[in-house]
Amino acid sequence: MKKLLTALLAMCMVLSLAACGGSPAPASPAPAPASGSSDAPPAAPGGEKIPISVIAAEYGQNTKDWWAKFQSDFNAANTGIDLTVEVVSWNDIYTVVNTRISGNAAPDILNIDVFADYQADGLLLPAKEYVSEATYNKMYPAFLEQSVVDGTVWAIPDLASARAMYYNVDILKNAKVEVPTTWEELKAACEKIKAYDANIYPWGIDMTTDEGQAAFAYYIWNNGGDFTDANGNWTLNSDKNVEAIEYAIGLVKAGLTNSDPATDTRYALQDMFGAGKVAMMIGPNSIPTYIKDGGSTINYAFAPIPTNGGNPSVSAGVMDRFMCFDNGHSPEKIEAIKTFFDFFYDDARYSDWVLMEGFLPATSAGGEIVAKADASMAPWVEIVGSCKFYPTAKAEWADVKQGVINVEQQALLGGNVKELLDSLQKQIAG
Amino acid sequence: MNDVITHKEFSLKKTVLRILLYFVAIDVCIFTLYPYFAMFCTALKSRVEIFSPNGTIFPIQSMWSNFIDIWSRAPMAQYLLNSVLIAGGSTLIAMLCGIPAAYALARMKFKGQTAFLGFIIVSQMFAPVVLLVGIYQVMQTLGLTDSIWGLIFINAAFNQAFTVWLLRGTFMSISPEMEQAATIDGCTRVQAMLRILIPVAAPGIVTTLIFIFINAWNEYTVALCLIQTDTLKPLTVGINTFNGYNMIEWQYLFAASIFAIIPVVLLFMSIEKNLVSGLASGGVKG
Amino acid sequence: MNKKLYRKIEPYIWISPSVILMAVFILTPILSVFRMAANKVSRTGKLQGFNNFANFTSVVNNPAFSLVLKNTVIWTIAVVVISTVLGFMLALVLNNNFKGRKIVRAIVVFPWATTLVIQASVWNFIINTDYGTLNTLLLKLGIIQEAVNWTPTPAAYFAWEIACGIFVTIPFVTFCVLSGLQSIDTSYYEAATVDGANYWQKLRSLTLPLVRPSLTVATVLNIIYVFNSFPIVWTMTKGDPANRTDTLVTYLYKLAFYNGRQGEAAAVSVIGFIILLICASTYMVYTLRKGDDT
Repeated sequence: MKKLLTALLAMCMVLSLAACGGSPAPASPAPAPASGSSDAPPAAPGGEKIPISVIAAEYGQNTKDWWAKFQSDFNAANTGIDLTVEVVSWNDIYTVVNTRISGNAAPDILNIDVFADYQADGLLLPAKEYVSEATYNKMYPAFLEQSVVDGTVWAIPDLASARAMYYNVDILKNAKVEVPTTWEELKAACEKIKAYDANIYPWGIDMTTDEGQAAFAYYIWNNGGDFTDANGNWTLNSDKNVEAIEYAIGLVKAGLTNSDPATDTRYALQDMFGAGKVAMMIGPNSIPTYIKDGGSTINYAFAPIPTNGGNPSVSAGVMDRFMCFDNGHSPEKIEAIKTFFDFFYDDARYSDWVLMEGFLPATSAGGEIVAKADASMAPWVEIVGSCKFYPTAKAEWADVKQGVINVEQQALLGGNVKELLDSLQKQIAG
Repeated sequence: MNDVITHKEFSLKKTVLRILLYFVAIDVCIFTLYPYFAMFCTALKSRVEIFSPNGTIFPIQSMWSNFIDIWSRAPMAQYLLNSVLIAGGSTLIAMLCGIPAAYALARMKFKGQTAFLGFIIVSQMFAPVVLLVGIYQVMQTLGLTDSIWGLIFINAAFNQAFTVWLLRGTFMSISPEMEQAATIDGCTRVQAMLRILIPVAAPGIVTTLIFIFINAWNEYTVALCLIQTDTLKPLTVGINTFNGYNMIEWQYLFAASIFAIIPVVLLFMSIEKNLVSGLASGGVKG
Repeated sequence: MNKKLYRKIEPYIWISPSVILMAVFILTPILSVFRMAANKVSRTGKLQGFNNFANFTSVVNNPAFSLVLKNTVIWTIAVVVISTVLGFMLALVLNNNFKGRKIVRAIVVFPWATTLVIQASVWNFIINTDYGTLNTLLLKLGIIQEAVNWTPTPAAYFAWEIACGIFVTIPFVTFCVLSGLQSIDTSYYEAATVDGANYWQKLRSLTLPLVRPSLTVATVLNIIYVFNSFPIVWTMTKGDPANRTDTLVTYLYKLAFYNGRQGEAAAVSVIGFIILLICASTYMVYTLRKGDDT
């Protein structure tokens, strides 16, 4: 009791001193102004260096260290530039970036997946203005096309990943199942696996808010459907799309998948796959690294995603980007930013970046180095050159993405796929 | 204190009540601790074992290294220190602003009293998630983004409602006679408050302290958006390091979280005595 | 200085630090929410002029909104009522003198001392059908023969979220009530005992009225905090499937940061604010009148 009293008394010393001094002004001094200014960030020494701020997405365990080293290497090599890189986890990056932009504190350079919203608000610079020609020409043209709006490239790819079907070799062998290549084979394989061991989930599906749009893409693309037609008009409720989603929902309803696709995220599925609980699932090329790090010893392999109606198997590609915000940069600063990208896309450094987290390169030189350095990556470098991407350059994409997830979840709860997609199409395309 | 109630009754009834009391207390403990037990066991497992279909309660092979690894994988000590500074600073400022306000509300009559009380409640009616953009703009104007001070002020502000309301209630339940007597003896209002009211109000003050400290300790959303520099992050945001793009390292996340609970529980235990015996000193009328 | 004048302004000097703190750090952001709600806002948060409350109409016309509103009401009432009752009972138990009371009190603080994101993650780990520790425990104890799906329906998931909400809210109520119990003069009880009152009579006519002030404050704030609670639902289900477990705050978070509709998100929070304002002011007018009598 006494100790607390003393503490409280000490705490309120300021108060009593002000008051007992005879002055009739007993208010406690507001501590805000004095303490606030003392902690303001220090001004750049001399003000000579050009500051560049970067927000980068955190891909995994090593991202932070990699950028920390990059930052010190870069600043050592370019004494006239003061680079600061802030690494933000994927969970939070949209919140952080949108808050900053609304507060008129956009970073100079941003590494994230989407770009269309920023472009639509006129916040970005065209890629050619801030990337040197030599570096620009390193990129796969197919990747650059993903960032085109009104004929201009607004962002450049930093890396990519592609998806394929992973399967547990032992489970398939024990259940006497061949690797499925078509939807009929897939369904039959699932039924056999279930008959072999009811405790195993034959097929993994993720229809959560996390990544439900990926499931949507896997099925419609491999049924010959798509989000848009050749002219870029939304075709969400095409017959092929309806058929594809009905098939996927059918697998769930038949009890051939994980029990709760609306809340089992890809992370959970990957972990269950690594533990031998899920027999087959569609996943990214980083799964081998993931499974190895987790200490799993399952015997697995990957194959093309099964298709329907004789359509060629389509892999889903995910591509992330760098973009440069138009913060009224001086010509010197633009040069500094160009230096940054030249430094980043230096072939050796770039392939190190890509290999670090087991991703796929977006430049041809990087592709060669990666394929050479890691034989297991070679087939993936092939795949990524030919996979399809989400229509992220379209302004409605954010709504479409949330919309298709909602359709999937409504369908899981018993909704009619056709009606749901019709109303989504109406809502998006008007 | 409620012992008084059973004080003169049959000892058999008393024994039964005692047993019942312990039974309830033990059940509450088991129930409360179960999630922590699960957390602890998970923190000791390898990732494969966590998700293994043949689940185990205890880890097959305890990986104590998980508890050590986190210290080298992330600047945990720095995060902990930042959290202590933020929570401690917020508590101090919330108290410095809240005690005078609560005192004025409990002991003085003035125009706008009800309006002020209402204003405090209204200030709580928006979730921090909603206010993020606005908070960021304020902090920018004040030059407090990416600063521990910014978090201290925002947490102090968010906890004003509880501080003022609870302390007002506590102060009002204490008779003003002794303070009035002291004022007649030549004490100023401030002295009377500090020397007489605050010691008596200790239990309420301690509850408030704990409340603010814990709230500030657990704050996540605002810290996430305001702090850019890694070495300024509090623990809640810092442990996100174990939450990557392609994997969530549960064992590390939970190991780090267990460390995050320890300081709060220690603080509570050291201060809890006052909560228990506060009013034993007497001099209070309800 | 004029003494009379000083008397008049003295209370305002006392409350000024508190007022300044809240005005700067909370009121300003609140005003910007109102501004956003009334404006057309671009996807990246740029204000583009007054849009005749289009944000509000588009929110209210969304069929998901009424579902979310219903969830929020269920969530708030269930968590507040159950945690208040249980927390109150627990406080009565902990107010007794018994061996190990200090340890029990420290343990009761645990759920409160844990970051909500982590707490909710642990609950997910406990109730998961496939690798959940609850199933493992019950299997090992022989209580169940095969893994139980604890979350077969969205409603079941929501119930678990409510349970988690109650779990983390109980300590708050318990310690608010406990601090009120501690300040009750024991002589009241002695007098009542002499008068022959039994335990329940004393509880009803003595304890409850005396604890009421601290319980009232705790409840009002609790309603607000629970209504605005974000991390539990977000971590456990993100409102999935199809808004069945969304509350207003998770719903508006998705609107703002996933759909890029910050104007509509601001409109949702203004609607939530109005609901809270009506509830809290009704409750406060009622209890303040009572409180001022004493």
